[in-house]
This record gives sequence, C-alpha cells and structure tokens, in this order.
Amino acid sequence: MSRQTVLSLVIFAAAWELLSHLAPTLGIPAFAIPSFVRIGQSLMTITPIDVVVTLARVIGALILSFGLGLLLATAMYRSHSLEGYLHPMIRLFMAVPVVSWILFAVLWFRGVEFRIAFVLIAVCGPVFLVDSLDAMRGVSRELRGMMRSFRPTTLQYFTKLMFPAILPNLLTSWKINLSLAIRVVTIAELVGAVTGIGHQLAVAQELFSVADVFAWTLVLVVLLFLLEAVVVRVEHRVLRWRA
Amino acid sequence: MNGPPPIEVRELRKVFRQAASGQSVVAIERLDLAIAPREVVAIVGQTGCGKSTLFDLMIGLEQPTAGSIVIGGKTPYGDFDHFRGQIATVFQQDRLLPWRSALENVQLPLELLGVAEDERRKRSLTWLARLGLANFANAYPRELSGGMRQRVAIARAFVLQPAILLADEAFGHLDEVTAAELRETFLALARESGSTAILITHQLEEAIAVGDRIVVLGKSAKLLADIHVERWSKSDHATLREAIQATLQGNERDARLNGR
Repeated sequence: MSRQTVLSLVIFAAAWELLSHLAPTLGIPAFAIPSFVRIGQSLMTITPIDVVVTLARVIGALILSFGLGLLLATAMYRSHSLEGYLHPMIRLFMAVPVVSWILFAVLWFRGVEFRIAFVLIAVCGPVFLVDSLDAMRGVSRELRGMMRSFRPTTLQYFTKLMFPAILPNLLTSWKINLSLAIRVVTIAELVGAVTGIGHQLAVAQELFSVADVFAWTLVLVVLLFLLEAVVVRVEHRVLRWRA
Repeated sequence: MNGPPPIEVRELRKVFRQAASGQSVVAIERLDLAIAPREVVAIVGQTGCGKSTLFDLMIGLEQPTAGSIVIGGKTPYGDFDHFRGQIATVFQQDRLLPWRSALENVQLPLELLGVAEDERRKRSLTWLARLGLANFANAYPRELSGGMRQRVAIARAFVLQPAILLADEAFGHLDEVTAAELRETFLALARESGSTAILITHQLEEAIAVGDRIVVLGKSAKLLADIHVERWSKSDHATLREAIQATLQGNERDARLNGR
C-alpha cells in the first residue's frame, strides 16, 4: 500500500471520527455517523456464515457465467449465422437494468438460490461472452494460419491456441465481473434472501443501524479486494511469459 | 517416412473478392507446375505476384477457384486432414506462441499428432540442439533474438520430419549474416531429411543459393521461367541472376534463359 493511500485513508477516518463526535452539536442524529468504536462493535457481530454464503453465491455464479459465456462465445466464433441470431439478444440482455432482472427473478422463480444465480448469470454472463468473443476475433491471423497449417482438430485449435491466446482478456473479465457480481449479489440478497451480506444489510437498514451497514459494507469491500488479489496472483502465475 | 509424394499444380486459378469494393482480384491466373519428390524449389517473384497465395493454396489454407494442387493423389484443401504431420511450414515471421517456451513451441506439432510426452520432448530437444538452441529450451520467445526465434520456428517444422517443407520468405526479415547462415542450415537439414522443400522468396541471391530449380513467377503468378540451377555453372550465376532480374522486370522470359 502506497504512502498516499495510507494517508488518504487516515484523513478519511479522522474526518469521520470528528464528524461522529460533532454530529449532535450539528443537529445530526448520533446513530447517523457512528464512531469507529461503535463500528468496531458491529464488526465483532459479523456472522461468518453470511460472508461464506455470499462468497459461495458469487463464485458459483461467476464460474457458471464464465463457462456459459465462453461456450457461447466459442460457438458464435465458429458460426456466423449463430452469431447473427445471438448478438442482438446479447445486446438486449446487457441493456436490461439489474433491478429489472431481480424483479423478473422474483416473479418467475420460487427458490432463493435460483433467483440469485439467475440474476448474477444474466448480468455477468454477457460480459464474459462479449469479452471472450472480441478477444478470439483479436487473435492474430498469422498465429491462426500457423496453427491451421499443422491441421489441429477443432478441440486442439481452441485448447492450444485460442484459449491461451485470450487468457489475458479472460482474467481482465474476471476482475470486472468480480466487482460487478459483488454489487449485484448484494442487491439480489437485499430483495429476496434470508442469508448473506445483502440480507444483513437489509436487517441493518430496518434497525436504522448505520454502524452495522458500515461494518457489512467494509466486509464486502475487503472481500472484493481479497478476490481481486487472488485473480492478480493467478494472473502473475499464468501470464509470467509476458513479464 | 516413405518418400515424399510428387506435387502437381494443374491449371491453378485463384480469385479473391475484395470485401470493401466487391471487385474480383486475380491472384493466380493459370499455373501449371510439377515438383518431383525431394526437389528443393525456389519460387521467386515480385511482391504481390501471388507467391504467398500459392503458399496458402499448397498448405491447404485456401481453396483454389479453379484447377488443383495434387500431392500424391490428394489435394491439400479437399483432403485437409490427410496431410496431418506431412506438411510443415516456416513463415516470414516466426509465428511462435508467446506463452510457450522454445521447447514447448517445438513440441506443438507433435502434441497435435498425439506423440507421447517423453518422445516429443526428446525429439524437440534434439532439434533445438541441432539448431544451436540447447541452452535456450526454456526461454520464452520474447527472451530470444529474431534469428533465434526463427531457428525455433525451423526446429518446429523439422521436428515433424515432414514429407514436404514450405517456407514463405522465411529469412527475408533477418540481417544478411543470420539469413545466410539459417538458409544454409535449412538447406542442409532439408537435404538430410529427404523432404521436398519449396522456398518462396523475392530475393534472387537466396533463390540461386538454395534451389535445385528456380520457378520465376510474373504478375498473377504467370510462369515466366523454370530454371534448373545445375545447368548453370557457378561462374555463370551472375548472368543467371541478371537474366532472372530482366525476366521479372519485363514480365517475360529473358532470352539468356533459353536453351538451358
């Protein structure tokens, strides 16, 4: 962490703490800007099971989205007519607001897990698909020609050339989708779930506990940073040929 | 390996349609050519004469508009899979996979053929050593010089022990010393392996130095001359060079090439 980052965090924390003490004299209710002691107390009450549940939902849905996105992108890369049919649909999917997906999920499906997975896949799947397809189209004509000259099977063509070639783009997609999924899963859990961080945020809102909202938000942010760090680590490992 | 099959190019024609204008461009008008097994043939022509199109047609990446290329009774485009492991190519740029080490790049064609890991590693290391890269087996392409990368590309072609070797301007982008050295290595290895070798080039010195035969192509791959180099003594190579140069410039066979 750089010196500037630490300094900006310290300034923010000091300003927040000062504001929490001045709040009553400024006519702001005390609960609106809780002190770090109060937030610390909320952090101590964080239930790990909710963190695990949210994490499992995010990772599970991202793996499914990735698999489906890559599979469809591969099929679309191979078939222009399929691409012609699917491309407008994908654009339509990407234009639908997250809230609409959540409402559709609530109206269409009964199971909570199914609803959340549906929303996450509907939002993240197209990102994986579009990024993969664009990356495949970007693989150089020279490398494709070289590979084809050795007459690979279709499976070999994709596993030995296309997928390794688009790996840097896929990892970037993972980073984008992690941040997207963390935000989307929270909203989805807020509406329909009885477990998870989103549900705990809804409870905190019902109790007017800003300290709890702050604590759970902090957990979400830390979770996102940790997941991104994992992807960066994987990136360093599998893309060491670029170093 | 059985002996390499003969290559017959019969009334070959290739027309491309330009996507933007919709106009047709004749890359190869009508070409007849026969290449005997184990011959080393240099195909020369000016830039844009259809040499690279001929290269793509010979390896089966393009389909002829008319006519055919027949290799041992099969066509490289129509019978694409028949030629697995039989045709190897060296391109102008090395075209190495940047995420694979030199060794892994050389192993690639053997992997595609399903050769066992131990065997392909052994064969690849042998070829890397023959090309002077034994100490660079684990280096990534970005860690190698242009000449070294092209050596890896040559090793990748020879490791297959192919019946037919095709090289498209394979040494054109290298400095003169490296190009001459690699050209000699390529020729020696091609002769030793008993492959039919076809080199596409725009450099006359290279064509004369390498080819048993020099096929001179004019516009739209019109066959201007088919020269057997052994009929020219070393002392006549300067004349041969001038005659080919004049043929290319005039787009018709120079009189000095007649009678040989």
